This record gives sequence, structure tokens and C-alpha cells, in this order.
Amino acid sequence: MEVKLLTEHYDKDEFQGISGYKKLGGYEVLKKALKMKPEEIVAEVKAAGLRGRGGAGFPTGMKWTFLPNNGQPRYLLCNADEGEPCTFKDRMMMERAPHQMIEGMIISAYGIQSKKSYVYIRGEYTYAARVLENAIKEAYQAGYLGENILGSGFTHHLDVYRGAGAYICGEETGMISSLEGKKGQPKLKPPFPAVSGYLEKPTIVNNVETLAAVKYIIRDGAAAYKKHGTEKSPGTKLFSLSGDIRKPGNYEVPLGYPLKDLINNEGGGLKQGRSLKAVIPGGTSAPVLTAEEAMKATMDYECLAQMGTMLGSGAITVIDDSRCMVDLLGVILHFYHHESCGQCTPCREGTGWIDKVLNSIIHGRGRQQDVDLLDQVAKNMMGRTICALADAAALPTISFVNKFRDEFEYYIREGRSKVKGSSYAEMHH
Amino acid sequence: MPKCTINGKQIEVAEGTTVIEAFMKLEQNIAHYCWHPGLSVAGVCRMCMVKVEGNPKLQIACNTKVTEGMVASNEDAKVKEAVEWILGFHLINHPLDCPICDQAGECGLQEYYMTYGKYDPAMAEKKVKKKKVVDLGPTVVLDSERCILCDRCVRFTSEVTKTNELSIFNRGDHAEVGVYQERPLNNNYSYNVVDICPVGALTSKDFRFKQRVWYLKDFNTICNGCSTGCNVKAYYNENGFYRIKPVYNKEVNGHWMCDTGRDMYKFVNLEKRQTSAVKNVNGTSEEYSPIQATREIGVLLRKNVNEAAAVLTGQYTSEEYASFFATMKDFGIKDFYHWVNNPEKMEEFDGLLLRGDRNPNTAGLRAEAKKANINLRNAKDLDPKKHTLIIVAGPEVQAFYPDLQKSVDAWSKSQTLVWLSSCKNPVLFAAHWIVPMKSFVEKNGTFVNYKGIEQKIKKGTTIVGEALSLDEFAIAIKGERVDVEYTSPLGGLA
Repeated sequence: MEVKLLTEHYDKDEFQGISGYKKLGGYEVLKKALKMKPEEIVAEVKAAGLRGRGGAGFPTGMKWTFLPNNGQPRYLLCNADEGEPCTFKDRMMMERAPHQMIEGMIISAYGIQSKKSYVYIRGEYTYAARVLENAIKEAYQAGYLGENILGSGFTHHLDVYRGAGAYICGEETGMISSLEGKKGQPKLKPPFPAVSGYLEKPTIVNNVETLAAVKYIIRDGAAAYKKHGTEKSPGTKLFSLSGDIRKPGNYEVPLGYPLKDLINNEGGGLKQGRSLKAVIPGGTSAPVLTAEEAMKATMDYECLAQMGTMLGSGAITVIDDSRCMVDLLGVILHFYHHESCGQCTPCREGTGWIDKVLNSIIHGRGRQQDVDLLDQVAKNMMGRTICALADAAALPTISFVNKFRDEFEYYIREGRSKVKGSSYAEMHH
Repeated sequence: MPKCTINGKQIEVAEGTTVIEAFMKLEQNIAHYCWHPGLSVAGVCRMCMVKVEGNPKLQIACNTKVTEGMVASNEDAKVKEAVEWILGFHLINHPLDCPICDQAGECGLQEYYMTYGKYDPAMAEKKVKKKKVVDLGPTVVLDSERCILCDRCVRFTSEVTKTNELSIFNRGDHAEVGVYQERPLNNNYSYNVVDICPVGALTSKDFRFKQRVWYLKDFNTICNGCSTGCNVKAYYNENGFYRIKPVYNKEVNGHWMCDTGRDMYKFVNLEKRQTSAVKNVNGTSEEYSPIQATREIGVLLRKNVNEAAAVLTGQYTSEEYASFFATMKDFGIKDFYHWVNNPEKMEEFDGLLLRGDRNPNTAGLRAEAKKANINLRNAKDLDPKKHTLIIVAGPEVQAFYPDLQKSVDAWSKSQTLVWLSSCKNPVLFAAHWIVPMKSFVEKNGTFVNYKGIEQKIKKGTTIVGEALSLDEFAIAIKGERVDVEYTSPLGGLA
């Protein structure tokens, strides 16, 4: 069953503007928060067990406590560079409920005592950026942003910064480089952004959904928030359901929700006459699950980790039996090849290499040894780079090749896809 | 001061030391391309992988700080396999054109290929095509296909020269080093990017295709291009000198040297040199052996002791000055002059290494004069009419002396002008005698730099067999026997 915590009013158009938002209880939580002590906010978020909703799932409260107390200015960055293929939840959140995110940001900024924050928004999200800009203007006019917010003595300024279309700028240090006006390339860690981030100042980077969730943790309290979800994965999560499914879209369910139910109930099941082949549970960089595995999976950090994959951004791609896994991996790796920033050698060369090998296989030029080669190349990219892009390319490769090895071997042997009617195969033969 | 164990060896290092620095201190081999001790850490080549006990993931040694009790190793089979693969990634799109590559013989890819190499190319697909023979500026040529994008050259121009000419353009496996439109790589330290390029991507216009590096011998010496006295390595073979590269010295030049200094080898090769002594009388020239010429000059000097003067430049070694001053005082010479390049620019400094005083041993000259109780007067005040004989210990690098011709012409108004010179120059024919001198690569001795640091220069080879050093001149002028030691360009004594 869907639990509409964040998305409660998403079906109402008036929720986008400040008057409608206020009518539906908007900015009341901010008033409550400003009466609390900043450290109480942090403690509440920590107690709620909120984990980052952008992909890595790092505990938000713990991230906040990494900020050093050295008197330096702190920055809060909202990661709205939603680039993980098949993910579209942040876009909806910003388009439908910009004030919800802004309120969550001001509360979070108050918690970590930051006077300045930026929303780094994906360049393609032009409409969302416009909505956000307008909402920020409204929030300034209403006195929720700016100097001495609601007479509390807390000052906060917020700006929108639009990216230029690079996937890598969704990586938090890549985003910081880009925001600093440099080429969007990840930085070496350590130092981590909490210690030395934007302009070498302590910086917290949180996802849109994470910051919006903070509002509800403060509104209801950690205990109430923890009633949703599982013990180790508390709260609700927005899942972007797409692929071979009848009702694709964003669905908010408590963490720990069975994937099977999400597909069959919320997603309306597969198309007529089709059977499930595989599911990518957390954006294309998450290892793929076979149909059998998918039927057993629950959508929480622990279960998916146990199955060797991850919750990631919460983008669920349903793959039915009409799809060729070789073609699909070809599309995915072409993306990562195109998006590798090129700093670290294993990623720069490895993504290109895998892309080329897959391309050879798809064009009927595959060699027998290529299946093992793909696996080996991917394994030797893993964990050998500054950021996780190499892993993002390696994980699908390893899982596709090992779980659907027969399709790769067939493609190489026969020079065409095992799946009749697969779009790529027909394009090339 | 954390203690750690590197490949089973214990070492105590300063706080903040990185694992790769600890490896270097222990002289343990560790593969690396992007790390350079004179630049910031980039952490992109991923070659310096080490296993740190207690950490399941391999770490890069360049961005990992040593902590108390750390145990790190790169001898582990897991590390070796990882490095082998990372080297493989470096090589899949490399053109493997060693036979026509200028870097062959001193290339990082070749070096590690011999240690970790896989002996069959692993990629069957076509390599990425990139730009070849890219003209980056007056000194450096780029081959993008050979480039491994280690970012050293980019960091050099941003951190050392702060001129920011270079950058990496594009991304992923299409990324290429390049310069911005109409802003070429044109600074006086540009050749350093060729030195720090671990592969054959950046090559020197001055050196490329001139000589295979395995046909060159080298020795360490001191640059004679200015009063900084950068530590350098000079490369030569039987055909002469080919290039000069910097040698690390924390106190003097760090890791770098300027492009001006790189040219210093050009003034020592045979085609530039004065090879025999010459006597110019009434428009005709007569060749002499240098020793014989010096003896005749000695005879003349004895006759003109009271009216003779010596002019010195800061381009000789302290030992030569000492011996020269002693001899001149024996003769009874009283007038000594100090001649400098561009007196108004002597105190200039470019902020990195190059100094306006383009003489390697001005401080040594002054010190030796003081020791010998000699008052060095400014050469501007030299009146040739007052002196019947002038001996000029001329500059080795004449290009640094803009008033060379003016000075020769002025001083040749003296009855006898004796010019000691390692380089030949038609301008000098106004002098009555020219005696060939040894260049800085042909003699041992000491240069004292602007800070007073004494540094030894070393005899590498002999280019002009009969040329004299200033001390040999000082012996010969007394009529005494000089044994000119000759070192074969092939090494050893001939």
C-alpha cells in the first residue's frame, strides 16, 4: 500500500504555489523548528535513522555531525542533479512541491547552522528550475528566507544553480567542483566535503528527497517517522517505477515494501502475455536481479544489499521477456562510457573498453572470450577510482554477464540476439 | 611522528607524510605516473595501489597519510594484479609506437611494462583516435594518443608557473590535453612539462629526433646560466651535448629549471667554439697553439706590468680566480675590473629561478678578489688609453652580454687586448689575441650562487682538446709547463 507522507498533496495543483502550500500546512514546521535548538534538529534526524535518498544511503544525521566546529562558514547543497538513468522522483518533487523541499532545506540549514545553500539542479530540468526559482522568490517575500527569518535571528539565503548536463555532477564532489565554476570532476577524498567542500569550507550535500523528509521528521518526531519502514530502514521512499510495466510512475511506499507488490499492485503488473525476466532495483548502476530474486526482494537497504544489489536512487526498471539483456547492457554501458569524466584511468579506459566489446557483440563481431573479458574488465575497475562511476558501470556489467550468461554466449555464437523481436537485434540484422 | 611498516621495513615519518613518500624514503619501488613530489596530489593514474592492513579495499599510496602503526605493502599478489590491470588500462588506447617515439628508453609505460606487463594486447577493438603532432607553443609538441592524462603538465602550469596555459579538454576517453585558443604554452619554464611527462606525449622541440637517449651519457653539474646555480644533468655523446635537465636540490632549484638554462649546452659544442689561439695583427690572423700564445702574452705582460689591467666576468670557477689572481699579483698587476652583463638588471628575479645576474659565480669572483686583497673596479670605468695591455676573461655565454661588441671595440684601443673566450665570435677579431678557454662542462671547480651556496661543477668530457682553463692560462703565462688533461667524449682518459 502506498503511504503518502511526502506526496500527500502532490495531486493538488495549488500545492505548487506558496498560498496553496500554506493553506495545506506549509511552513508551520519551519516555525516549530526555529523554536527548537539546532542540535535538537540534528538529534531528531539522527534518531529518525534517515538515510540519504540520492543513492548511497548514507545516514543523514551522521553526515551532519561530521561538520567540524571551527567557526568556518558552512554550506548546504541540495543535490537535484538527478541523473541516474530511470530516476525521476526529484523532478516530480520539485515541480509539484517546491516549497516542501525549500522548507526542508531551511530547517536542515538551521540544524547545521548554515547561512547559505544552493540547489544544484540538473540542466535539463528547465521547468523544475523555473518553478523552484519562483518558489524561492515567494519564500523570500514571505520572510521564510533572508535575514532574521520570522524574527528568530536565523539568516539563510538560497540560490538555484543549473548544471550543464553531466551525469558526474551528481556525484557530490563533482557537484562541488561544478558549483565552484570548475570542470565538473570529482575530488579526492579525504578530505570529505563535511570538512572541506564548496570553496574548501565545510559542506553538506543532501538529496532533494532527503531534505524534504527532514520536514516530516521534525513535524511528527523521530518516533512517529520510524513507524514507517523497517527497523534499519525507517521511513518512506519514493520509487520511480519504469520499464515494461502498465502503470509507470513515482510511488511512495514504506521501506521494506515487497518489490513484487510494487510491480503487481502499484505498477499494475506486466503487459499482457509477458513474463518477468529481470528487475534493476536502484537505477541502472545497481546490479540486476533475476525474476526469481525480484519476487523475493523487499525494498529496503538491508535486503537488497544482502541480494548483492542496492536501493540506490529508488529507480526500479522492470524488464520483461521481450528484452535482450545484451542490448540492454549495451545501452547502459554506452551511457557510462559517455559520462565518465576521464580522470581515473580504470574508469576512463574501462568504460570505453566494455562499451566497445558490447558493441562488437551486438554487431555480430563478438569473440568467445569476450564474456569472461567483460567480467574481468569490470571487476578490475571496481573500487579503483576516485568516485563511484566506475563501480556504476562495473556492477551492471558483472551482474548482467553472470546472471544472463546464456544470452551473451548465444549472441556471440549466432551473431544475433536470443530474443526474437528485440529492437536492437532487428536494427542491425 | 607516526611509525609504520612498509613492505616489512619499519620507518618513522613526519606527521602528514603520505604512504608513497614513505615508500620513497625507504627506496622501495612503487609504480606511479600522476604523483610528482613537486606538485599537488591528483590521484588519477591509480598505479600506486597498496594494501593497508585492516582495510579491505586497496588504497592509493599518494593520497593516504601514514598513521601510527600502519602496515602497508605493494608486494602483495592482490596489489600486483591490480597494478597489472591498471597498466593494461593505460595501454589499451596507447599507440605502442615506441620505435618512432622520442621518449623510448626513458618512458614510464615501457618501464612498468617490463615489471608488470602483459605480453599480449588485451583489447581487440579499435583504439581511440586523437590529435597527433599538436603544436603547443615554441618549445613543446603534444601527441594526444600517447598521453595518459596524468595531469602533471596541467598542474605544473597552474601551480608552479601559475600561467595556466594547459588544460584537459573534453571528458572520458576523448579527453585531451591542450592549450586555449591563441594562448600557446609560452613561458620560460615550459620544458619542465616535457621532463615530468611520464610518457612520450610531450616532447621537446629542441631535442626530439636528435638522438636516441640510450646513446647518451650524462653527468651532474651546475647550470651556468645565472647566479641561481640550478643543479642539472648534462647529456652528451661523442658528437657533443644534446640537452640539460634539472636535478632535484631542495636548497637551490627544487625540481625545476628555466628554459634559458636549457640552452646552456649550446655554447659548449664544437661548432660554436674557439678551437685555437689567434693573433690578429694589421688585419691578418695567425693561428697559435694556446700554450704558445699564452707564453708570448706572458712576455708582453712582463714588459707592460705597470700599465696592464685584467677584466673578469663571473663566469669562471672560484679555483680559477684564485690561481689567476695569484699569478697576476706575482706579475705585479694592480688594476682589476669586474665586467657584468646589464648592470641595471643584476638584481632582477623572475620569482621562480632565473636571476638578472646571468653569471654563475659572481659571488665567487668577489670572494676570491677579497681573499687576494684585490679591489675590483667597475669595468665601465676602464680607460683603454691608460692601459697598454688588457687581459679579458670573457664570458662563456656571450649572448648575455649585450655590450660585448661595444666593449671589444672600446678596449681594443689599448695597445694589446687579450681576449680569453670559449666561444668563437667575429666580434672578437678586434682583439689582438684570442685564447680558447674551456667551457663549464670541461672542467672541475666551484660556483658560488647568489645565496652563497658553494656548488661543485664536474668535468664531463672534452670538446676542445687544447682549450685552457683560467688556472692553466695562469700557469702558462708564467712560462711554466701545463699538462692539459684530455677526457675522451666516450668517457675515461684518452
